[in-house]
Amino acid sequence: MITKEATQAAPAPAPTAPEPPRPNKRRRAWDEAPRWQIYLPLGIYLVFTLIPFYWILLFALRPAGSTSLVPWPMTFVHFEKVWTDRSFGTFFYNSVLVGVATLIMTTLVALAGGYALARFDFRIKRGFMLALLCSQFVPGALLLVPLFEIFAELQMINSLGSVIIAETVFQLPLSMILISNFIKNVPYSLEEAAWVDGCNRMRAFRVVVLPLLRPGLIAVGSFAFVHSWNHFLFALMFLNNQEKQTIPVGLNTLMSADSVDLGALAAGGIIAAVPVVIVFAFIQKWLITGFSAGAVKG
Amino acid sequence: MKISMRRSSTGRRRTSAAVALGAVLALTATACGDDGSGAAGDEGAEGSGKGKIIFWDNNGGVRTDIWKQIIADFEKANPDIDVQYVGIAATEYQSKVDTAIQGGGLPDVGGISASMLAGFAAQGALDPLDDRIAESPLDGKLNKDMVESLRAAGGGDDQLYSVPTSANNGVLYYRTDLFEKAGLEEPSTWDRFFEAAEKLTDEDKNEFGYTIRGGAGSIAQALDAMYGQSGITSFWDSTGKKTTVNDPKNVEALEKYAALFKKATPAADLNNDFTKMVAQWDSGQIGMLNHNLGSYQDHVKALGEDKFRGIPQPTGPGGKRVQVSNPVDGIGLFKSSKNKEAAWKFIEFATSAPSNSKFNESAGQVPAHADAAKDDWIAEAEPTKLAADALSDGSTTIVQLPYYLPDWNTISKADNEPNFQKVLLGDMSAKEFLDNLAEQLNEAKAEWDEQMA
Repeated sequence: MITKEATQAAPAPAPTAPEPPRPNKRRRAWDEAPRWQIYLPLGIYLVFTLIPFYWILLFALRPAGSTSLVPWPMTFVHFEKVWTDRSFGTFFYNSVLVGVATLIMTTLVALAGGYALARFDFRIKRGFMLALLCSQFVPGALLLVPLFEIFAELQMINSLGSVIIAETVFQLPLSMILISNFIKNVPYSLEEAAWVDGCNRMRAFRVVVLPLLRPGLIAVGSFAFVHSWNHFLFALMFLNNQEKQTIPVGLNTLMSADSVDLGALAAGGIIAAVPVVIVFAFIQKWLITGFSAGAVKG
Repeated sequence: MKISMRRSSTGRRRTSAAVALGAVLALTATACGDDGSGAAGDEGAEGSGKGKIIFWDNNGGVRTDIWKQIIADFEKANPDIDVQYVGIAATEYQSKVDTAIQGGGLPDVGGISASMLAGFAAQGALDPLDDRIAESPLDGKLNKDMVESLRAAGGGDDQLYSVPTSANNGVLYYRTDLFEKAGLEEPSTWDRFFEAAEKLTDEDKNEFGYTIRGGAGSIAQALDAMYGQSGITSFWDSTGKKTTVNDPKNVEALEKYAALFKKATPAADLNNDFTKMVAQWDSGQIGMLNHNLGSYQDHVKALGEDKFRGIPQPTGPGGKRVQVSNPVDGIGLFKSSKNKEAAWKFIEFATSAPSNSKFNESAGQVPAHADAAKDDWIAEAEPTKLAADALSDGSTTIVQLPYYLPDWNTISKADNEPNFQKVLLGDMSAKEFLDNLAEQLNEAKAEWDEQMA
């Protein structure tokens, strides 16, 4: 039950004139450091991170049986094989559906829940926050059987809906906590000003608060998408129809008990990685802003 | 602060509508599930012998194509029955079935190998098949050793819960080109094996004589090497209560085998599961590899047929060959099936001679059906032929691993694989490792005997 509205956040400080830059000895010493001191460690780090990717590309693009260290002659036969023979086209479509639906549902529910946590005080708020945090400590595997029974009752086994709901539920605690912190960082006085101008709470939220939450929403949405894209367990357990399975489950079936087609596995891995890479390439700026903003309590 | 009171822009309305529509469409498109009925306690029914049945393949992916062919043949011969195929990765099969046993959603038919049979049977998930086999054309046509292996693995009630489809067998693959170049003889005895492992190793050139399995699945391979060298032919002593794994001969054999690590193998072998082991053998300069028939086609693709051979394990003392058993694969009927008649028709068809031959030719394994085992393709696939001969001509003694012990998978994997790595690294002696393993096995056997009593 809602008892009272949360204490107002302090009004935003008045802008002050920027101070003249002060000489900073440490900063200057860093600026004058030879470039190799920056690039060498970065280069070593990149070698370690990029070699496995190069290896995957190599296996995916060179013919089976080749031991060449460059993907030449280049072949796309492994991609054709996984996309058509191994139904990765279908798996890809299903994964996109699960990822986008999880993103939408997680963001919408986290927005509503996060707003309530940020702007209202209610009797069980602290207990609720604690429960949200505790839910992060329970591995999904422990809840498989009860979840399976619930979805069976709802006639949702073998439906992508079961995976979307399970993914959303597991994403929500962290997303809600993050969003509530983003909202706390938006001065309450902005909303009050909107009310004075005639907005109701919903409209004030939509017009004033929501635009300021863009980095946070992108962070939470992308996190939900990437997590559900990569998550394997729920799709494996709740989906029994080949036509409804997702990319991680499909990748797993490329390894049999005693034989593995490395070319196909590498091609499947690249197909699985491409959307995640694209998502991160587009949103990295907002993602870092979003996570750092959400990490600080307002 | 001035807030604009104009109504939402068209763009915003469109966005909101798109979000709402997207959510609705996503959930609509993903609905239409089922109740996943069929858990362990469900007794099922014979059904009409028509309609849809679901088949879970316990080694999905690589075998999907051949199963789809067999299913297409079956549906052509039985137009009233529709088989829905679900390929599940071998590594995840047991957990998926276990979850379905607890929560519901078991299929009608499933792949059931000896290694997981005891657990499923103990949970009452499978239908006994002896009576159905007795009334079917399969009667008397199935390989007796495979039937007995599955019967023994089934939980001690002397019932058969899985119709055998194929047997795998340990194979020693060796690079004929490297052996020829080094002037070495075929590694048909353990002495020749160790000699070749040493002579083919030149660490500076990144050439090694052997690749050892130090990661997942290492125990079965180590047991194979131990019993093969020691010549001990039974996993249990004459009382049937104590295992022979820590017999002094086995300890000595393991010491010799583990000493190959880093001396004749790459150091990275410490974490080798079969995938890494096979991949590095197929792409590198390594003389020998112990694996099973399942990877034969991978080697053919990578190396071509001329550069390697796959022979049965080397012979030990007195020219005797002793190997540990590989799990026999089969198909079982889940008790909860609501259409057992149709499900059995499918099992009967899938294990009949033509289907069994087709399946094993694709998988490169030894067929369970006697007529399929006579087909021409076996003579052309050398490792399969040699394995089939070794299993049937009396030249090989098979040490039956206790797949029937409910704790076998835990003991032979999670509990002891890290310890085997310690043995390879020299942090634990072979004797200490085997004594510890023996203690766990003896305890598990005592519990099992008590339950059976």
